[in-house]
Amino acid sequence: MKLTFTGTAVLFLIVMISGRAQKVNPDARLVEEFEARINDYVKLRKQVEGTLPALKPTGSQGAIKHHEHELAERVRKERHGATQGNIFTPDVAAEFRRLIGLAMQGKDASHVHQSLQHAEPVRVRLVVNEPYPSGVPLQSTPPTLLMNLPRLPPDIDYRVVGNNLVLRDAKSNLIVDFIPNAIP
Amino acid sequence: MRRFTFLSVLAILVVARGQAPAPELKLPVAANSVRFAVIGDSGTGDRAQYEVGEQMARYHASFPFDFVLMMGDNIYGSETPADMKRKFEDPYKPLLDAGVKFYACLGNHDNPNQRLYKPFNMGGQRFYSFKKGNVSFFALDSNYMDPAELEWLTTQLSQSGSAWNICYFHHPLYTHARFHGADVDLRTRIEPIFEKAGVNVVLTGHQHVYERIKPQNGIYYFVLGNSGELRFHDLRPSPDTIKGFDTDRTFMLVEIAGDTFNFQTISRTGQTVDSGALPRQPKPNQTNGPIR
Repeated sequence: MKLTFTGTAVLFLIVMISGRAQKVNPDARLVEEFEARINDYVKLRKQVEGTLPALKPTGSQGAIKHHEHELAERVRKERHGATQGNIFTPDVAAEFRRLIGLAMQGKDASHVHQSLQHAEPVRVRLVVNEPYPSGVPLQSTPPTLLMNLPRLPPDIDYRVVGNNLVLRDAKSNLIVDFIPNAIP
Repeated sequence: MRRFTFLSVLAILVVARGQAPAPELKLPVAANSVRFAVIGDSGTGDRAQYEVGEQMARYHASFPFDFVLMMGDNIYGSETPADMKRKFEDPYKPLLDAGVKFYACLGNHDNPNQRLYKPFNMGGQRFYSFKKGNVSFFALDSNYMDPAELEWLTTQLSQSGSAWNICYFHHPLYTHARFHGADVDLRTRIEPIFEKAGVNVVLTGHQHVYERIKPQNGIYYFVLGNSGELRFHDLRPSPDTIKGFDTDRTFMLVEIAGDTFNFQTISRTGQTVDSGALPRQPKPNQTNGPIR
């Protein structure tokens, strides 16, 4: 009888603990979903990159541009049909809008707004899986904004274009995805 | 007789042209000093950029600097191999031929893949550091100052051990140029790191003017973004500007000799627009010293 009672108590505790562990913050789940999607993209990019000769620093600008172009073409082929929202799904985009809103409130808000206004704003027609237009400046992204967004793998960056938030592949210069009207 | 006079005048002109006066130098040219030049927003490929390059080569003869720091916007517009030649290799050919190395940082007009262009010596990184004598240099990417870069900078500065720490990047933390203004959000994030680590000098570009700012929290700030581009009369008067110049292109020569940062800013036409000798500030944990 004593053993049964102890066993029941242990079972109850296990159920309680596992139940608590399954309670995941919905915001964290969305960030995890985003990270999984961007990691999948990076995995694909690495696979494609592996089919090209490795590029080290070189004095040949032609070699650099050729590598960038070839990488972009092969990634585009692999991601054929990718559209806006493939990585920034509606739920993930909503979470990003919330995080951007947090970054642009409080004591840092005026700094972020000022930084965006002074950062040589650009107007570009955004198309997923197409290169960021050559010769168009890249608007700087305010550090406070970057501190409030999920961290990205190397060579993938967040860029502000107009009031859109763009996910850009620095190696291939491709637009991976974007959130329209993300910046209030 | 008339013919003789004409030939004499011609000969005098040829000789005079061959013996151009030595440039006015306001630097000590001390033994074992660290010598370099600074250019910013240079990559237009226009005549003015070439003329700045010619002045730099002229000064190099009497002030043999070893390297050049580039404040970003190294290549405007397209960046084909022909563009790299026209907007970088040709304007600075005499310097490149003399073995002068260029260390670039990225501006908002630069494709980040410029980090792979070997003559820019970025080692494939968008931010990096290097050391010359008793001076550590930190080339930062102010277009994209993410937490990874801030952490890298904090660690690198804490491990520097150099007498002088110099940070350079594109966007100015302080300026009185009208067009862009200072990047206050960037300043909020990196200035405390500079102060804590004892950064001595900050060099930036982006504004197409030359400006030397009054030391801010003990740090010397320079803006030099007019080595190719120029925004005429863009500076507004400010008591925080020690010297401003917005009517022509410039470059700067620097010589760090012991505890002194000597500098001379020179225009496209060879005019000295600013010069001085700044003492090294004490490290943050030092209690006595000049100004920090």
